[in-house]
Amino acid sequence: MIKLQKNSFFYKLYTWLPIIVLFVSVLNEFDLNYLNIDYFSFNFPFILIFYFALKEYNKFDYLLVFIAGLFNDTVVGLPLGISSFSYIVVCTFASYLRNITIRPHLIKDWFYFLFVISLINSINYIILFLFFSYDLDIMYYVINNLFTFLFYIPIATLLNYYLKAIND
Amino acid sequence: MASSRDDFVIAIRSAFLKKTTKQKFSLLTLIFLSIFIIFLSNFNFKIIKDIKSIINEIVFRTSFIVSIPENLLINSYYSVIEYSSFYKSYQSNKEELENLKSKEISNEIIISENNELKKLIDDYKFSSNKILAKVIVDHDSLFLKTIIINKGSSDNIKIGTNIYDKSYLVGRVIDVNYKSSRVLLLSDLNSNVPVSITPGNVQAIIVGDGKDSGEIRYIKDNLIEDIQDQSIAYTSGTGSLYKSGIPIGLVDNSNNNFVINFFSDFGQLKYVFAEIEQKEKSIAKSSENTTAPSGSNTEKIKLDILNEELKILSETNSKFLEENQSLKTKINQSDEKIINLEKKIETQSKEIEKNIIDQNELDFLRLNLIYSSKCQKSGFKKGFKVGTPEYRECILRKGRKISD
Repeated sequence: MIKLQKNSFFYKLYTWLPIIVLFVSVLNEFDLNYLNIDYFSFNFPFILIFYFALKEYNKFDYLLVFIAGLFNDTVVGLPLGISSFSYIVVCTFASYLRNITIRPHLIKDWFYFLFVISLINSINYIILFLFFSYDLDIMYYVINNLFTFLFYIPIATLLNYYLKAIND
Repeated sequence: MASSRDDFVIAIRSAFLKKTTKQKFSLLTLIFLSIFIIFLSNFNFKIIKDIKSIINEIVFRTSFIVSIPENLLINSYYSVIEYSSFYKSYQSNKEELENLKSKEISNEIIISENNELKKLIDDYKFSSNKILAKVIVDHDSLFLKTIIINKGSSDNIKIGTNIYDKSYLVGRVIDVNYKSSRVLLLSDLNSNVPVSITPGNVQAIIVGDGKDSGEIRYIKDNLIEDIQDQSIAYTSGTGSLYKSGIPIGLVDNSNNNFVINFFSDFGQLKYVFAEIEQKEKSIAKSSENTTAPSGSNTEKIKLDILNEELKILSETNSKFLEENQSLKTKINQSDEKIINLEKKIETQSKEIEKNIIDQNELDFLRLNLIYSSKCQKSGFKKGFKVGTPEYRECILRKGRKISD
């Protein structure tokens, strides 16, 4: 198996991969949050942020997450600060779960994640509908919420391999 | 009980305020900062707008660069698809071009008439100037159906500028930066377009459904029956949001509800046209021109109209001449065909005649075998000499008559 030297450029790039993926996913035109498929979409940044905030990954800087949120708002066309707020709230809830958990369990994390994303999507909907008069389709939120929840387990399993590779 | 509350408070405090060595800001600071930004973005201070504009410029360009590999893949895919259906599309395009060419002339006549009528009813006209803009970000979102174009306030783009794909309406500008703008597409949930639906000239408002089509709303109940399947919807110009007479899409009534299928495919926009409008007061302009008398200006306008009409008429004439020429060729070809057919008929009638003669001869020979003894002249019997017309007549009569 190929092993990377700890001070090499590729190793550094590899350790920064979660943040790079986060920025690419918010800047890229291809958005998993809107796939133009009926009744299917999921919020990839939420899964990524929740997972790495929960694992307290040292390269996952909250400030960068905050900036990624600003970028997302600019690209998507939302009022500035909405996504940043959502991302930071995800980090906060993940951080709280980390503090109260002695023995982490994937299924418990999964259901806690469902609660978090439901809460954040509800807050988002209320802010956009009441304060910014956006005309929104609530079904999008429900479907998005459901698939984000369902995709947490497979993506978390993949990310476990990533963290394992880093730690090795 | 008290200890569990303490644990909860400690966990909350730790989550909000604890910073690891790598974190520069606590989560609580960032939450307050994001709320502060949300409030600020709601106000229209100049400095906030400028900062927002700068961020937009940077992010749009970065997004464009980040999306290059993905766009390259998508474009390659579409190129392969296009090449595979190249011949079919060529044939259909050829046919379509022929049809469009013939329609073009009648359109020009209508435009000229329209201009003339506009001059009669209004003292100003719009001199529109369409500029080409590239779509730099086409980011479909859950909330907004928008695109970003590479033209901004430096190119005279304003909020409300109409955006076209060829001659079809795509949307309007809702946010302008120095070198880029955001366009709200017609398919967005927040897009409302006043339209006329023809035939019937039914007035309605089309609202985007957040996908790829629109819905007809705000229409009187008794008028909904006037709308037919495949009716054309175009902007009515009501409310001055959009110019009038711009084609939007076709009405689809296949599922018992009225849906508008837009002419333009919003998912495939690469380049669009932004229409920059300048109002020109024609009367004011003429009064400014003090060196020439006002009468001569009117004459000039009339002359221009006449020249335009003349141009159109000459074009129409040439078109008619072409048609005439082609009709003449067709007539010549038909004449040739007629001559050939006549010749054919003549040879066939000759053949028929010959056949009839042969048939008569055959009948005579058959009867001759039976009745030759009755008609032939011999030593004891009256009759006719073989080969004479009388003999032939006798055979055909099946023997001699008593008078013979």
